[in-house]
Amino acid sequence: MLSFEAKYRREAMDVPARASFGLLKIWIGRFYLGFWGVVALAFGVLGSGVWFWQVLFVDPNRTNNPLLNFIRGQIVPPPPDVGLAITFDPNKGFWWLFVVFCATVTFFAWMMRQIDISRLLKIGYQVPIAFGAVFSSWVTIQIVRPILLGSWSEGFPLGVIPHLDWLSAFGYRYYNFFYNPFHALGITLLFGSTLVLSLHGATILSAARKKSEGVTEENVNRFYWDFLGYSIGEIGIHRLAFWAAVLSVLVSNLCFVLSGTVVQDWSAFWDFWDYAPFWKNFPFN
Amino acid sequence: MATEVYRESFERRTKTVRYLRFLEGLADTQVGPIYLGMWGALAFFSYLLCVFITAIGFGEQVGYNPIRFLRELPVLTLYPPPPSAGLRMAPLQEGGYWQLATLFLSLTLVFWTIRIWTRAVANGLRPMVPIAFSAALFLYAAIYIIHPIWVNSWNEAPPHGLRGILLWTNHFSVKYGNFYYNPFHMVSIFGLLGSTLILAMHGATILATLAYGAHREIDEIEKSDEGTHRAQLLWRWVMGFNATAYSIHQWALGFATLTAVAGAIGVLLSGPVEPDWFQWACRADIVSGLQKACVP
Repeated sequence: MLSFEAKYRREAMDVPARASFGLLKIWIGRFYLGFWGVVALAFGVLGSGVWFWQVLFVDPNRTNNPLLNFIRGQIVPPPPDVGLAITFDPNKGFWWLFVVFCATVTFFAWMMRQIDISRLLKIGYQVPIAFGAVFSSWVTIQIVRPILLGSWSEGFPLGVIPHLDWLSAFGYRYYNFFYNPFHALGITLLFGSTLVLSLHGATILSAARKKSEGVTEENVNRFYWDFLGYSIGEIGIHRLAFWAAVLSVLVSNLCFVLSGTVVQDWSAFWDFWDYAPFWKNFPFN
Repeated sequence: MATEVYRESFERRTKTVRYLRFLEGLADTQVGPIYLGMWGALAFFSYLLCVFITAIGFGEQVGYNPIRFLRELPVLTLYPPPPSAGLRMAPLQEGGYWQLATLFLSLTLVFWTIRIWTRAVANGLRPMVPIAFSAALFLYAAIYIIHPIWVNSWNEAPPHGLRGILLWTNHFSVKYGNFYYNPFHMVSIFGLLGSTLILAMHGATILATLAYGAHREIDEIEKSDEGTHRAQLLWRWVMGFNATAYSIHQWALGFATLTAVAGAIGVLLSGPVEPDWFQWACRADIVSGLQKACVP
């Protein structure tokens, strides 16, 4: 336990249980358990166990080297002829459905667990909300988009290198993802997030532990006024951080879910540009 | 002493301050006073030249027609010299514009780094922001300068233009056997997505504990208080591990730097050291389901 932890555990014991939150209010070592912890643990262990078993011992691409199997092994989704049926045939992607189901339950339980713990600590729910954004990404790519296109085969294979192969092929399947404006916006936000993280981390480290020399928040403000003409402030930077990261995931969801459903060719998507009303009738020489 | 002189000049400059009312309640509203200084002026004029040269190059391509310029802006491109030109200076229309624009862009970034450095020191901060920025500068240099010089051709560098830079990214990956198989690219993407994850975790944690004052990070690092305690316990109870108010910013800087540095190494090794990352993956035996393609 941390030096100050006992007080907060006592405080958490006094928070009344409500529905599924606050049930099984016990700690195992440093971990809080709780109802949703049990769910996450059960389905997490089950899903991961099946994944390792399949990838290490069943996948036809396996070698005799467990490390190589881990990197290149995979569980492939059901073939297109299965459609959206729930197949129990192990040769037709049953284990993919099984692991995707376990993972979905685990991620959801993990989010509920964060809500549970936030509630016990009497803090806001921003952490589970942010986790919900990335959970929505899993649901969009593995469940919503396959359902919209009527086939589980649209999901990605569960494996380290295989999911990269899938991603690479996915980009070219819709002509080229570099022409996908939502992809461009998502990447911009990803790089923007990294930039914000770098600036914030470096800024705090540059001021921390210089308090004995009289450095305060005011020095940081003046540095940013000098440097950029604007200092967003201690609270503002964390709002920016939250929204940059969450939006990068949400915009990326759009770039996936629109491909194959609404847009088949991201280059042809731009055809409207040349015929935009503003210059449609302009006499170019 | 130097700090005091600086403070005086700062007070004089506060006359130029403006306030953005629409940001009230969201973030700080004060805009300015911005500092120019010698390095700022050099960076500004250097960037102005870069933009001017690019605009001339684009303008020639559309016959200086403003409507055509607007319509074709996304596809207008300044290309580097052809491979046959090697590292020589090229005529303006055959890559010379690109060479000049790139020269002034590179100078801008160097001046900008020095400018951040001098401003950080003048305000009593350690120069961590310019050090972090130099990681991005290294990635820029790897792509635009070091790699082209190593393979003896400016043609290897990205062109200037919205579509041009995306197509270059695509072609560079394919030319060296698909960057998805480049292990340094993998690490760089890990850093990029990991940075976004850490940013979300940190931003959300601090917002969740605003009521307890966890956002006063510089004070919290010296002596942590209730907000930081609750933030730390959240992650300790969720995943059995927590950073401190200080170490989360070390994680942040480390992950963001990893993204740029690993990416730069991945670019530099492409070509001279590893001409085909797919073949590398074949030799490493990590290609899945496509082993037939691995047979030479």
